[in-house]
Amino acid sequence: MNTELKLQALLDGELDARERREVEGLLAQDVQSAVLMQELKWMKAAVAGNEAEVKLPETREFYWSKIERSIETAEKQAAAAPAGRAWWLKLLYPATGLAAMVAVMFVVSGGRTTDGADTESVPEDVNAISFRSEAEAMSVVYVADENGTFNPVGQETKNEPEADK
Amino acid sequence: MPQPPDFTTTLDVQLVASSQAGDMIAFEELVARHRDKIYARAFTMMRNEEDAIDLSQEAWVKAWQRLKQFQGDSSFATWMTRIVINLCLDQLRRQKRTRAESIEQLDEELGGVERQMPIVASNPTEGLERAELRKRIDKAMIQLSYEHRTVLILHEFEEMEYKQIAKVMNCSIGTVMSRLFYARRRLASLLQSLKKEQKS
Repeated sequence: MNTELKLQALLDGELDARERREVEGLLAQDVQSAVLMQELKWMKAAVAGNEAEVKLPETREFYWSKIERSIETAEKQAAAAPAGRAWWLKLLYPATGLAAMVAVMFVVSGGRTTDGADTESVPEDVNAISFRSEAEAMSVVYVADENGTFNPVGQETKNEPEADK
Repeated sequence: MPQPPDFTTTLDVQLVASSQAGDMIAFEELVARHRDKIYARAFTMMRNEEDAIDLSQEAWVKAWQRLKQFQGDSSFATWMTRIVINLCLDQLRRQKRTRAESIEQLDEELGGVERQMPIVASNPTEGLERAELRKRIDKAMIQLSYEHRTVLILHEFEEMEYKQIAKVMNCSIGTVMSRLFYARRRLASLLQSLKKEQKS
């Protein structure tokens, strides 16, 4: 902190006892600091308690009416907010359930495996079985005929292993 | 027709308690009691009547919404004043971001200008009537940047300590001290000029 700011801090009562003694010692020795201190004192005395008197240029009723309207509007919005959240939640829950079901079906149907394991799925409603081997990069779909016998109807093989060629 | 309640002998703390319980008539009485002070604080900071009305009304709305948080650690008027000061500072910061800085403001921010000002050797307010003194101080304060004016308002009118001002203005205590020093020195210089103008 420079000397000038220390003088001001002394004036404002912001120094501890040790700093106060130090700055008062400086004031006693340095004329320039004493003159500056005098100017700061005049300004502090002039400003304190001499704030310009300002009156609100509106009537009590008119001024209050806008505050009251704003409070009511804010309270209506706050009251409406939980209903809004409930509306979202109403949609959110079934949407989440549907998404979870689709994800399970997607995995079960062999659309994607992550660990290279072979997957077999049996969707009951279509009376078909799909088989996918990640190791052999192959998918086979069996569809039941009228007798309930499963026959392969589609086979897709990618990156056929060297031994099969 | 029901008569409006007579609050003439009701204390602020009682009105606050009723307001906290949802009594808007009691709150309206608090607004009526303190509206001039809250508006005046907004006006001295913003120097614009329209902004001061809007911000002071916004402060009352916020106060109603946060009444439960008022614990009575300070007076209700002090609590309200802090709310309006914060709103004014937010608005002034927004305005500052959108307007070009004057060379003087840049000088003030960089600091050091106050040290080049000659020290005022005779009291520039000596012998002035109070009304005239207030008028001159107000006129001089308009010429300060909002940062310097606000520090002066918070220190001299709101009687806040350096660390409280630093917290409200979101700056360091060192910045508060240098802004206050600049504001006082500039004010002395401006009041000196006004005195000379009066004489000539």
